[in-house]
Amino acid sequence: MQMTTPQRVLAIVGGAFLLGSGQALISKPITLGPANLTTGTSGTKGDPNRIKQSTPPAEVPVVEPDPVDETTPTDAPALNGEPTTSFAAAIDSLLDKAVPAGTLTLRESRTVWEAGAYFLDARHEYEFDAGHIQYASYLEASLFDTDPDRAFAVADSIPKDATIVVYCVGGECDASKNTAALLEQLGYTDLRIMGAGYEDWVAAGFETETTDEMEVSP
Amino acid sequence: MSAASKQPKSKPSNGLLWVESILLQFPLRLALGGAFAFAGYTKMNGVQSFANAIKGFQVVDADKHGYLIQSAAYTMPWVEMVAGVLLILGLWTRASAVVIWLLLVGFIAALIHVIMDESISADCSCFGDINVVCDAAVGWCQVIRDVVMLVPATYLVWRQGGKLALDRAFGRNLNDSGPEWTVDRGGEGA
Repeated sequence: MQMTTPQRVLAIVGGAFLLGSGQALISKPITLGPANLTTGTSGTKGDPNRIKQSTPPAEVPVVEPDPVDETTPTDAPALNGEPTTSFAAAIDSLLDKAVPAGTLTLRESRTVWEAGAYFLDARHEYEFDAGHIQYASYLEASLFDTDPDRAFAVADSIPKDATIVVYCVGGECDASKNTAALLEQLGYTDLRIMGAGYEDWVAAGFETETTDEMEVSP
Repeated sequence: MSAASKQPKSKPSNGLLWVESILLQFPLRLALGGAFAFAGYTKMNGVQSFANAIKGFQVVDADKHGYLIQSAAYTMPWVEMVAGVLLILGLWTRASAVVIWLLLVGFIAALIHVIMDESISADCSCFGDINVVCDAAVGWCQVIRDVVMLVPATYLVWRQGGKLALDRAFGRNLNDSGPEWTVDRGGEGA
């Protein structure tokens, strides 16, 4: 039997649909819906090592067992209250800049950061390497596909009930929502999204670091 | 006399068809089909990433029509894969070239939609998480790349697989509508 071209086109698409349906049946389901987000700054449950680190201006860097989060606080002598003094007026508007509903403003993000919340960078790896919020870990949503071991290593280093703040460039970027949705599937309960984004964090002059500056323990 | 002068015009010689097959149809089929099979394969390995990418394009409302994104995320890589492999083999060449042509037009439309809407910043995910020629973020580069791929796709829809296509091994070719010289290309000389 000869099929005409339109019939063959339909056959190709239909066959692909069947193959895709088969794949959908055997693979784990896709997460599309938005994650249940926590807002505000209350009830922050941060990284105990971070809190220890940032309270006294420690001369000796604390060696953390956590392989992802470690950094030395050497070039950040004044972790607390640094930006609230001289640039106060200029930064104030930035701190309270409107953000999408359900996400953290820059001020709130800063507060939970000081409380030791786990920060996750959902941008591309080269962007993370070039500079990210201090103590943040790289966890782009696609890392669960491209390098699951690495993604789960990051995820497993964070307690399930800890406060996690995910950020991306800022504005309407989707990346942090995607990462948060996947983390929710893994059982994390306190997920927050930094609506302000990395650009605002930099503009406010808050602490950043590049990957080269992070000290990774062997 | 009129028949003799008309003959080579409407029906190119067998040798010319071989030259065209070897120099144009075969390499173009390999390149275009290979690109699509590769693209389909990379997307298949990251369905979640691809679904996120489709959502990021904001062509459909993810909250209302999530099922559309789900089915597209599972189906589209297979369409690319199947059409790409068929094109490489030269089996159902015209049909698979039509599929790829339609995909490309759809991609171009979606890319332009993202570029035109300033509030959307999406990643292409054209080749999964691998970047080919262009950066990850959607821009005119991807549009140009897709338009460039549209040229061989159009050519293959027009000329079909040629002498080195498997279509020939399956006897008489398409009973397609269209001018006579576009029909039965693969079976010619068999």
